[in-house]
Amino acid sequence: MEQLFFIGFAFMAVVAAVGVISLRNPVHGALSLIVCLLQVAAIFVLLRSPFLAVVQVFIYVGAVMVLFLFAVMVVDLRRVELESPFNARGIFAYILAPIAVIEIFAVIFVSKSFDAFTTVATLPTKIETLARVLFTEYLFPFEIVSVLLLVAMVAAIVMTLKKGRS
Amino acid sequence: MPSIDTLIVVGVMLLKVLIIGGALFCAPLPLTWIERKLAGRIQQRLGPHRVGPFGLLQPLADMIKMFVKEDIVPAKADSFLFKLAPILAMAPIFAIFVVVPFGPDITIPFIDYKVSLYITDMNVGIIFVLAISGLAVYGLIFGGWASNSKYAMLGGMRSTAQMISYEVAMSFAAVGVVMMSGSLSLVDIVTSQSGGFLNWNILYLPVGPLWFVIFLIAGLAEMNRIPFDMPEDEGSLAAGYHVEYSAMRFAFLSLAEYVAMVSIAVLLVVFFLGGWDNPLGSLIPILDYVPPVFWFMGKVGAFIYFFMWLRFTIPRYRYDQLMTIGWKIMIPLSLANILATGMIKIYADYRITDVLEMVGLKLW
Amino acid sequence: MVDIIKTVITRVLFLDFIKGLLVTLKYTLSRSITLKYPDHETWIPYERFRGEHKLHRNEDGRELCVACELCVAACPTDCITVVPMEDETGRRGINDRVAKVWEVNLVRCLYCGYCEDACPTTAVRLSRGFELACTDLDGTIREREALLTESPIPEHYEGGVVVKAKYIRKLIQIKPELWKQKDWWPAKPGRSKKR
Ligand code: SF4
Ligand code: SF4
Repeated sequence: MEQLFFIGFAFMAVVAAVGVISLRNPVHGALSLIVCLLQVAAIFVLLRSPFLAVVQVFIYVGAVMVLFLFAVMVVDLRRVELESPFNARGIFAYILAPIAVIEIFAVIFVSKSFDAFTTVATLPTKIETLARVLFTEYLFPFEIVSVLLLVAMVAAIVMTLKKGRS
Repeated sequence: MPSIDTLIVVGVMLLKVLIIGGALFCAPLPLTWIERKLAGRIQQRLGPHRVGPFGLLQPLADMIKMFVKEDIVPAKADSFLFKLAPILAMAPIFAIFVVVPFGPDITIPFIDYKVSLYITDMNVGIIFVLAISGLAVYGLIFGGWASNSKYAMLGGMRSTAQMISYEVAMSFAAVGVVMMSGSLSLVDIVTSQSGGFLNWNILYLPVGPLWFVIFLIAGLAEMNRIPFDMPEDEGSLAAGYHVEYSAMRFAFLSLAEYVAMVSIAVLLVVFFLGGWDNPLGSLIPILDYVPPVFWFMGKVGAFIYFFMWLRFTIPRYRYDQLMTIGWKIMIPLSLANILATGMIKIYADYRITDVLEMVGLKLW
Repeated sequence: MVDIIKTVITRVLFLDFIKGLLVTLKYTLSRSITLKYPDHETWIPYERFRGEHKLHRNEDGRELCVACELCVAACPTDCITVVPMEDETGRRGINDRVAKVWEVNLVRCLYCGYCEDACPTTAVRLSRGFELACTDLDGTIREREALLTESPIPEHYEGGVVVKAKYIRKLIQIKPELWKQKDWWPAKPGRSKKR
């Protein structure tokens, strides 16, 4: 039963992910990305971590994608749709993408941390445990990530400031 | 073959979903009538009074009108997204009610079967509520964008910006609730406030009232009602994101708005007013026989009335004022309040009843 | 300093909001000024009201109008047409004369009441009928027969009240029930309705 659900969600996620990169209309692409993220959230639920699932929906679907759409909506669609996907700027992408794919597979097959399929059921489901670990053991990385995000935010604000206006 | 018990559990669950879903679908009918009547009374008019006694059948007449009107899709609209948007606006708001507890467990007499008055009790309930309610904005964005109309587009953009801004404050307020009640599950939040109105989170002095106000204002902004109904500002945007919608799709969008209003009222009651808790505790013995669901509904009704009352009392804010309130007042205020709540939780975690007990006063 | 404290208190406790809400609450509880016109309630104008014309008869049932055409002369918009009729007996006493045609164009009429003032026999008087809507232009001209019918509101009925009304579907007519007065909008003290 569970397997069936997993296959369904995973299949949908992959279809949606393919849609993201193949649909010409950027808003449709964003919609498929939303679908993809929701499927991933569903898979999190299957993995007995509702907290991650809900946070995934909250952060990615609820906030990040809205901002994405905000930017995408103001783009001149007719120009985007006319533009050929095979242009000079794309070359880097065509080189980097296969490398990234190979890398991912390499990590999956080489790394040891992907052998531990059996531990899924024993993962902490209580949010309290999660919070305790996050704020004790992983406090330093957590803080670094926060500072990084803050820096990015300040940078974004600085970049939008017009020159000449002090 | 699953056992009989499982089947019964699934059946009861389905029944609950059907009842709640049906009730929410029908809720806008009386609500529109009440709102129009109230608007009339406030403006010294009568409101609808032609169709049926006291105009009670007016919503039905409106519904028939909506059903039989022509459903127009603008020629250059993105018809797929245009048709999807009303559903996207509606579904998340209905989904909020999956975790809302309407009352304590009840035992059905004769067969001794225990039924809980909520669909599920998620241990991440409050985050689920926030996450799901955040999805409702897609209906507005896609609706606005797919209409291929400047007014609709601007309405959609405005609502996006507004919802994102106020979602931050709302989430902070939810964090405050979690801190005060010490749980993420909505059922636990309600039970943590039981025992009379002095125990409710709104009276968790001194931070409770502030959280309540923050959540109330953010909630008003989230559901796009006056004074924050920027997305449908008639003066500057015609009707905002739903200007191109007609017939049933328009009905769905306004249904979503009404259910959003109900959902905010429900959340306010659950988070701050003790859910189904009897306000006077066991001070007056007779009140113990009032079913708890009644208290819940009464509080929700009071909030809905308040929202409508507000709508016909105050004008809407200007857009920059809206953003100023959101970013420069609400968010710093809630950050400071989180700090204060944490301090109080550590050093002086008392509710009013605790203090009263300490000075030797026992109310109930 | 006191002012600042006052402002802070007002802002923090939302006192201005509450004040506004109380205003609307007061209106919610006050009475509605809307009438369920026309089929439940209707407004009866004051006696001085100038509406549709009516021709009157004396106690014996004789028409008061003697077709002197003074009203025609007085009318600033020329909307009255009077053609006198001379009866076959040949007598031409002023008392015996009646109008053959007496019609008024209600669209051109400006309800100034000059015709009423000019009439030597007080035959034409403006009644309190104001429901003059019609579906074609013929309906705007009132003939003698129609003008001679009695107005539903008696001349000496004191107006300025709301009464119950009934819709008579057969006649497509609204019938005010004059004896069923409604206390509509309480008169301010010191402004009596009675003259
Ligand atoms: S009311 Fe004035 S305008 Fe009308 S018919 Fe009489 S005189 Fe003419
Ligand atoms: S209504 Fe009066 S003024 Fe006019 S013709 Fe008759 S009697 Fe003369």
